[in-house]
Amino acid sequence: MFVTFNTAFSYLVLVVLAMLPHWAAAAPTVGEPAPDFTATDSEGNTQKLSDQRGSVVVLEWTNHQCPFVEKHYQTGNMQALQKDATSQDVVWWSVISSAPGKQGHVSPDQANELTASRDAAPSAVLLDSEGAIGQLYGARTTPHMYVIDPEGTLVYMGGIDDKPSTQKADVETANNYVRTALNAVQQGQAVDPATTQPYGCSVKY
Amino acid sequence: MKRYTGLIRIGGLPCKTPSPDHSAVFVCGQRHRSWLGSVLLFTLWLILFGFSSVTLANPVATPHVRAQLISEATAVQANQSFWVALHLNMRDGWHTYWRNPGDSGLATTIEWKLPAGFVASDIYWPYPEAIAMGPLVNYGYHGDVYLLVQLTPPATLKNREKLTLTADADWLVCEENCIPEQATLTLTLPVTSDAPRLDDRWKTGFIEARQALPKPNPWQASFSLTSDQLTLTLDALNFPSERLKKARFFPKQDGIIENAAAQTLTISDDQISLATTRGAQRNVPLSRLQGVLVLQEDLTGTTATQALEIDASATTAAANTPPTPFGYALILALLGGMVLNLMPCVFPVLSVKVLHFAHQAHNAPTAVRWHGVVFTTGVLVSFALIAGLLLLLRAGGAQIGWGFQLQSPFFVTTLAYLLFILGLSLSGALTLGARLMDLGSGWATRSDYMGTFATGGLATLVATPCTAPFMGTALGYALTQPWPTALAVFQALGFGFALPYLVLSFKPSLLRFLPKPGPWMARFKEFLAFPLYATAAWLIWVLSQQTGPTGVAVALTGLILIALAIWLLGTTAAVSRRWRLLGRLSAVAALISALALAQLPQAITPDSLPQTAMSNPKAGDWELFSPQRLAELRAGNQPVFVNFTAAWCITCLVNERVALSSPRVKAGLAEAGITYLKADWTNHDPAITTMLASFGRSGVPLYVLYPPAQQGTEPIVLPQILTESLVLKAIKSLENTDPS
Repeated sequence: MFVTFNTAFSYLVLVVLAMLPHWAAAAPTVGEPAPDFTATDSEGNTQKLSDQRGSVVVLEWTNHQCPFVEKHYQTGNMQALQKDATSQDVVWWSVISSAPGKQGHVSPDQANELTASRDAAPSAVLLDSEGAIGQLYGARTTPHMYVIDPEGTLVYMGGIDDKPSTQKADVETANNYVRTALNAVQQGQAVDPATTQPYGCSVKY
Repeated sequence: MKRYTGLIRIGGLPCKTPSPDHSAVFVCGQRHRSWLGSVLLFTLWLILFGFSSVTLANPVATPHVRAQLISEATAVQANQSFWVALHLNMRDGWHTYWRNPGDSGLATTIEWKLPAGFVASDIYWPYPEAIAMGPLVNYGYHGDVYLLVQLTPPATLKNREKLTLTADADWLVCEENCIPEQATLTLTLPVTSDAPRLDDRWKTGFIEARQALPKPNPWQASFSLTSDQLTLTLDALNFPSERLKKARFFPKQDGIIENAAAQTLTISDDQISLATTRGAQRNVPLSRLQGVLVLQEDLTGTTATQALEIDASATTAAANTPPTPFGYALILALLGGMVLNLMPCVFPVLSVKVLHFAHQAHNAPTAVRWHGVVFTTGVLVSFALIAGLLLLLRAGGAQIGWGFQLQSPFFVTTLAYLLFILGLSLSGALTLGARLMDLGSGWATRSDYMGTFATGGLATLVATPCTAPFMGTALGYALTQPWPTALAVFQALGFGFALPYLVLSFKPSLLRFLPKPGPWMARFKEFLAFPLYATAAWLIWVLSQQTGPTGVAVALTGLILIALAIWLLGTTAAVSRRWRLLGRLSAVAALISALALAQLPQAITPDSLPQTAMSNPKAGDWELFSPQRLAELRAGNQPVFVNFTAAWCITCLVNERVALSSPRVKAGLAEAGITYLKADWTNHDPAITTMLASFGRSGVPLYVLYPPAQQGTEPIVLPQILTESLVLKAIKSLENTDPS
């Protein structure tokens, strides 16, 4: 058998390439770069995460029909958080990953209507009906919150606060993790806690 | 969407309406306009419900759940704990949640409003099921669930007092969408001074509830971590792998594991392990793993689901050393591979090849380079093959490590044979013309890539016994990883192994650091045979550990046969064709006999009995079973209880813990004068096998209660899953038929 240099070398290269699968995308981890993505928002614009470098980005998975999301919107808690954040140049993206026909799925017009009627203040509402962004981030519940620093590193992921319930009264007394994370990032400090248990309805993929 | 949050009061009884859903149902009645109407209604209630201990607010039906608070006993005794349960009966297709709800959801909570001095325990959760919701997984219950709570009254309670226990239960019930619901349940119980009677209505419910509670784990549990894998290990000796159908670990805390990830079950000689992917908290150090392990065990004619309480600590290695990152493991593997070249198994084979370089380097430098590449490829492919085989076997359920070949006496013997043959060829007793044995000087000038490729493979094969002591960390890491990572580490090992050779083939100038060829080469080659003989001797020693002196004798005979075969080949090489053929045939015959002999050590097993995992009994609790002892006892008209068990039978161990070791059962057996015999079938004792067969059983557990022989009644066979009451009932039935 005549073995050419090319064949032998390509064998070697193939074998080295076998090592590469390990470096494929892993689950998002705090302290590591947040996975990049491109999405379409309710206004029809394209939004790309890496374009937001230089700003803090908050991702809020939502489903307007979920009692846990209602708890935060009907008390005005989420809107207040959004307004406080955006007034400090934080990019706030509400993400809807509900599949068509499932609870929480909305058309772009419906999404805009909801934003207006609830007096919400996100920078954009991303429509992810394929669930790709949700799966990329391992979003499990609505609400599920992620905070990304200006360098693109994920600094917080988990629940919105420490009182997992549907009781509206709990909003007042809860420790809001998103607010804590945003304050820490503004002051250049480490976010603590960086990962918490998210609570809510399941994302309707 | 309107939400009704008001309270309706009727006749002094408050009640809350359920949640923000259009299908909200009022469960406490309607407001009436006239006082006459109220009086009439109140009278009606008195007639219908007045004298029972159950008020209107129990059970409560919400749109998707029927909730009821039940008490095991009909009354409360001062200072005596008693059990109550929140029974949730969910609509078909709907579920509620476990203490850790999983990817989403909310665990059921109970807030108690109890009379002064009462203490309520936390909920005792039955084991959950994994409920898939698309790509997410939740932990919860379908159908019926009983959440047990233990209540302890104070030491002073007035007799004839009526106690009102109120539970504010909150839960999330989901089908695909979720509805939070709540109910306030009230239970009124009288106080009694004697031991209260059990409530017959809920007897089955409480038995079912207790059976579904996780039991203490009979085995030592530990866990190990890598950067993204968690492996839970139970030290369970000789567990037969076909006995365990399914296993799933439910963690108490969120973020420890990926709830939706697969859990790989591996059963080996002394361990059961479950490996899965770590969750969002993978960067947080973990020293204690708590949760529930649910196992489905195959019994005779049925399957039993057992839930074990897990409270495991990290194995020392994982606790003290940080998880090995991938890059670090690769470097270690590379270095380890390079070190492999110095091992006595490998060095002789390769050094001869390197010496031939000295010849070739000046004549055909390009060819040498190709040889280097081909050799490297040969090594990498062989490492990949062995790694692939290892991973396949690991996936198939055998817990093995690198050097797994060494656990098989047959492999050890054949490897000893191989090294012996190589040693003989280096000593000059054999000139191998076969392409695979690239050790004769005839190879020096042949540019045969096939031969070089094969040398790579051979080098890998002889290297494997020497690997374990030096590559521990990298291999330990590789074996816990998903297969691409594991393969990558093995390839790094192979690359390191081939690297010096590759470097030399590209930079033959480095060869000048090697001594010039000369007559010393022949002597060196002959000397190199001795490390090979030493390795063969070491392998025979390994064989002696595995199979004892008989195995050693067999292997040595095999070596003699090989020497004979080689001599036959040598003597007949230069004579007439007929003799040559005869020589070859006899050599082949000798070789085949040697290989056949190599099979024998496999059948010899050491005498030591594996330890049983059962708890040590107190003296007098039970006796070891033997057919003679049973016959003796029966001849003496004694009732006997025989427990057929095995250390690897989960249901047996759980039954022993839960039913047979309970003080009441022990007392019951003692009072009735029943001798308790334990038949340990861990090593498949043939006498016990025969007894099992006589009851139509092929396996354990089996529980037989023999009444006194004079009664003439048949032995009572108990079910495979025991409860305390079941055993006590069986013991009692003997009393009833006892003529004395």
